[in-house]
Amino acid sequence: MHEVGIAQSILEAVQTEMRPYPGALPVKLAVKVGAMSGVDRDSLSFCFEAIARGTLFETMILAIEDAPADELELSYLELEEP
Amino acid sequence: MTTVPLERKVLSENDRLAAELRAEFARHGIFCLNLIGSPGSGKTALLERTLASFAPDKRVAVLTGDIRTDADARRLARYGFPARQITTAGACHLDARMIVRALEGWDLAAIDLLFIENVGNLVCPTSYDLGEAAKVVLLSVPEGEEKPLKYPGIFFKSKLMVLTKVDLLPYVPFRLDDAIANARSIQPGIEIIQVSSTTGVGIDSWLKWLEQR
Repeated sequence: MHEVGIAQSILEAVQTEMRPYPGALPVKLAVKVGAMSGVDRDSLSFCFEAIARGTLFETMILAIEDAPADELELSYLELEEP
Repeated sequence: MTTVPLERKVLSENDRLAAELRAEFARHGIFCLNLIGSPGSGKTALLERTLASFAPDKRVAVLTGDIRTDADARRLARYGFPARQITTAGACHLDARMIVRALEGWDLAAIDLLFIENVGNLVCPTSYDLGEAAKVVLLSVPEGEEKPLKYPGIFFKSKLMVLTKVDLLPYVPFRLDDAIANARSIQPGIEIIQVSSTTGVGIDSWLKWLEQR
């Protein structure tokens, strides 16, 4: 079960992506997960919820999208600017 | 609402380190393999047999990953080649940073062939690039022929499948043709070698495969 590590990488990546938007609230993050990526979607959602608790990302929706083969990518981020 | 397109890999930090490792291996002419299989699939046994077959001047080294203990590194060090343990303290896979750290202090110019034995697991190691030239998946006969269908990710990403413990074929209900068909249904181009590290059957095919790289 490595989804905690994957969730941690997602959280770090989205934190980096948020830097140009100070004060913004993350609303939704779309992640593409391919069937051959070795990542379980339910487990990833569960882990992300757990590590996001108490952070700015607690209320953000993690939308997991289909992707070809072993793709494991961040797709887009929706945010509310102040 | 602002939408920011990202289009970046989730594991971009791992991939960056893996790319550095790959460049480093290329600079030193190192052929690196990432061996992945279930616990008990025979990764260490295959490496023991492989190291035992090499001449003492073979420029080979091994990194071996486990959650705890350095038992495997001690097993592998007996053959006289550099072998180093990576203990992950809980993590179910190796990542590129662990490889970077484990290689510290080694003279890469003195290595032509580097084996990385991953933590026994068919799922988690799939996602992490270690800078290897190829992933090799081991499937031992007692595990059953359905493994490629149950854990498709690793069979999809591996260049070679080594069927291990084939000396047990007469004693276990393993349908060899189905195992091969299952692996090829996930990845039609996967190469397949059958070995027994106990009897030595097929080890020559494996050594030849290594030689041709």
